[in-house]
Amino acid sequence: MSDVKGCDLPEDLLYSIENNVWVRQESDGTATIGLTSYAGSLAGQVVSYTPKKVGKAVKKDKSCATVESGKWVGPAKSPIGGEVAAVNDAVSANPGLINDDPYGEGWLVKIKPDDWDGDSAALKTGSDAIDAFKAKMEADGFKGC
Amino acid sequence: MRDEHTLRVLDTGLRRAAENLALNRSLLECHQEGHSPHTLRFLRFEPSALVGFHQNVDQELLTEVCRAEGIDIQRRITGGGAIYFDPTQIGWELYVDKRFVGSADMEKIAGRICRAAARGISRLGVDAQFRPRNDIEVDGRKVSGTGGAFDGDSIMYQGTLLIDFDVERMLRVLRIPAEKLSNKAIASARDRVANLSELLGETPSLEVIQRSLAEAFAETFNVTLAPAEGMDAVEQARFEQALKEIDSDEWIYQRNRPAVDSPLLEAVHRAPGGLMRAGLTLDRERGRIGQVWITGDFFTNPRRMLVDLEAALRGIAVADLERTLHDFFDDYPVEMLMLTRDDFIRVLRLALDSDDTAPAKGDHPSHAVG
Repeated sequence: MSDVKGCDLPEDLLYSIENNVWVRQESDGTATIGLTSYAGSLAGQVVSYTPKKVGKAVKKDKSCATVESGKWVGPAKSPIGGEVAAVNDAVSANPGLINDDPYGEGWLVKIKPDDWDGDSAALKTGSDAIDAFKAKMEADGFKGC
Repeated sequence: MRDEHTLRVLDTGLRRAAENLALNRSLLECHQEGHSPHTLRFLRFEPSALVGFHQNVDQELLTEVCRAEGIDIQRRITGGGAIYFDPTQIGWELYVDKRFVGSADMEKIAGRICRAAARGISRLGVDAQFRPRNDIEVDGRKVSGTGGAFDGDSIMYQGTLLIDFDVERMLRVLRIPAEKLSNKAIASARDRVANLSELLGETPSLEVIQRSLAEAFAETFNVTLAPAEGMDAVEQARFEQALKEIDSDEWIYQRNRPAVDSPLLEAVHRAPGGLMRAGLTLDRERGRIGQVWITGDFFTNPRRMLVDLEAALRGIAVADLERTLHDFFDDYPVEMLMLTRDDFIRVLRLALDSDDTAPAKGDHPSHAVG
């Protein structure tokens, strides 16, 4: 567990700094994708969530879900290409979970990866990820979660 | 490479809604790919009713009226609520990136762009102000509503500007919690929105409006304006591709829960200070309030407190009603005659409690008791 400018960024997860999302490989081989607490803080309270449908293909760095906050709509981008294996019904019912529990109940989609080894190689973890987020927050002029 | 200090100005003229929304997608994607320059687009619509990206058509619009009157129904790529758009309004849109606006915080980005637009509108001779989170108003009356879409670091932020807007037409088309077409509802809607022509006593030309807005954006974001004839071939090709998807029922009706899932609820409360009426829409599935209207013959000073309160309550969870109302009144200096914040809570709770069509506990056979 690590804290950068008040944003919780667990060190055991994999991160795409560019897409501001986390990734966790599950024991069944799927990859769970979610927004970081930092992304949630920049977006504000999420009020709507539309994941890609189960069975649909998601290309690497393309949208796996569309979210809305404060009248802004945009994609959450998956750094892992593959097929959507599961979407989060709890988040459909309560999109605020994305802000309130980003690494737990608030996950976005589970992906069955096409090329886990290839796509995950570019992800950062541990202190590398923390340093990269620090630099991103500086560049963004971010004050804190 | 994109010139960071130039803002291209496009005027795409009067178009069908599908074309305008396909242009949103084309220009945002082309900007995100680094192809398109920073751009300010002016646009106008043939009569159209537009829902927000996540909204349900039948819950927001009176579709029979739209069809009978030849009003296009479309879905935006941006968030927020349903609007009626016709040639008596002008639209403005910025296609830029987070660095251009100087923040990565979406609320701050919206605020900076809205303040710039308000300065542009004020150049026409009115005192326009940004009202968080997304409106621009003159003396508490809305002249411009806004919303945005993003893709990576690129953003598209758009707003309407009412020039000579027909409030009655809007009331006929949108499913809103007002007593339909009563003189009171029309008067009350007129209290909430303002036309430039009415505020100025004359109708400013499109050219003057566009110049005022463009110059204000250029000054605020320190860029040079570069008027352009039209889109380039890449943007045009992307537009035609997007139009195929957006000009279709699959796009427009991709979300369409029935209207009964989002009831319009009303209540009347005879407070010592006067008669209060509240109307609201309830998103039952999410447990959220949609829009709120409060009217009555009670006294508040300033009068605009009501519309500011309505804006504060829009979209909140039902469970947060009391807290939001207390937070609002804690911060808002207002004079009221024989009226307290509890009267507002009461009339809104009465409206929410009137939702008797929801399946109550015990109605379901498997849970029947006794």
